[in-house]
Amino acid sequence: MATANIKDVKRRIKSVESTMQITKAMELVASSKLRKAKENAIQAQPYFKTLYETLKNISLNSSGTVKNDSVAEKKALLVVIAGDRGLAGGFNHNVLKLAQERIDSLINDGFAISVMPIGKKSIEYFSKRSYDIYDQRAQFAENASVYDCLDISDDVVSKYTRGELARVEICYTTFANTLSQIAKNVTAFPFEVTQEQKPEESEEQTDTKHKYKASVIYDPSPEEVLKLLLPKYFGGLLYGAVVDSYASEQAARRTAMEAASDNAQEMIDNLSLLYNRARQAQITQELTEIVSGSMKNSD
Amino acid sequence: MNSYKLKIITPEKTFFDGETTQIVVRTSEGDTGILAGHIDYVSNILTGPLKVKQIETDEYRIAAVADGIMVVANGEVTILPQSAEWADEIDIDRAETAKKRAEEKIAEAKESGAAFDFAEAKLKRALTRISVYNGQK
Repeated sequence: MATANIKDVKRRIKSVESTMQITKAMELVASSKLRKAKENAIQAQPYFKTLYETLKNISLNSSGTVKNDSVAEKKALLVVIAGDRGLAGGFNHNVLKLAQERIDSLINDGFAISVMPIGKKSIEYFSKRSYDIYDQRAQFAENASVYDCLDISDDVVSKYTRGELARVEICYTTFANTLSQIAKNVTAFPFEVTQEQKPEESEEQTDTKHKYKASVIYDPSPEEVLKLLLPKYFGGLLYGAVVDSYASEQAARRTAMEAASDNAQEMIDNLSLLYNRARQAQITQELTEIVSGSMKNSD
Repeated sequence: MNSYKLKIITPEKTFFDGETTQIVVRTSEGDTGILAGHIDYVSNILTGPLKVKQIETDEYRIAAVADGIMVVANGEVTILPQSAEWADEIDIDRAETAKKRAEEKIAEAKESGAAFDFAEAKLKRALTRISVYNGQK
């Protein structure tokens, strides 16, 4: 019995070891991809930050131009960004759960919902549940370029300005730090200066500043500038979300794989203990048998 | 001449960040020159050449930029084009092939809305790159 046990334990150790090799490799791949994704995210930041500031200033100075009042139907588009692969802990689940909650509450408010899933997992989820799919992208996040996002954005924004869409929201996962990623929902349109930015803005707008700001010249007109700005703003938002989500996915996978590797190591430790014990028991038994045999002979 | 701070930022990188005395940029109203001390100003810029005066040589350095926006605020100028290349960095072969491809696309698309606009914008960018490249020689 002891011999069979030793064999079994040995086989299990081997199998756990090979699993650990895979999880370790995935962890390393994820961390190098994470580094790249973070760099991408940082590179694009100044461009879109300046765009956003300009858009904010226009909307503060010429009220009403960003808002779209001539909406015929209550139609909302939800862009849901998830990963292309699993094995990333709760990453895909969390963002899809948030999206589902958001959809339910929008339906309650009387919106018709279209979904634009980005990432295989997101596409699977929404096509299974037979939602109206606006457009879908798989294998998009890893090599996402700003220009792809701007193309999508041109399309969405033109629908919005024509009044075919009343709301556009993005569900994605934001990268808080390597250990925590938070599923998040952002309203892109109608464009609002969010609460957190308002107080800071009003502080800035003391009397002199206010006059100064109002004297900005828009060429040819604020409306024309906006027309150009809106697609770029949404494209930037989308790109930021895709890159952020991708970084989060890698971070989530890294953490999940790290935990898996740790668990595998623990299992190997326990199994080796078991193996050594079984081996020792076998040796002891063999010794006892030899000794008792020789004692019988000397008798 | 007084100089001012100029930043040219594309989605890919910060293309230029430094001092200049004058730039000439193509807007929807025509070529516009910006000198130091300009009033706060926001304008759409079109695909076309962008001239930036070098402080050291007092000569223009020309770049090909794609459509975007220019913001003049607090005496600083920020230009946000979709892409930007200095004349001497332009890959002329690539521009020529891009031009050909865009022309084919236009012939294909005839006048079917979005695809046509898209190809037209591409063609414009390629033509700008070619003319900027030839202009510097």
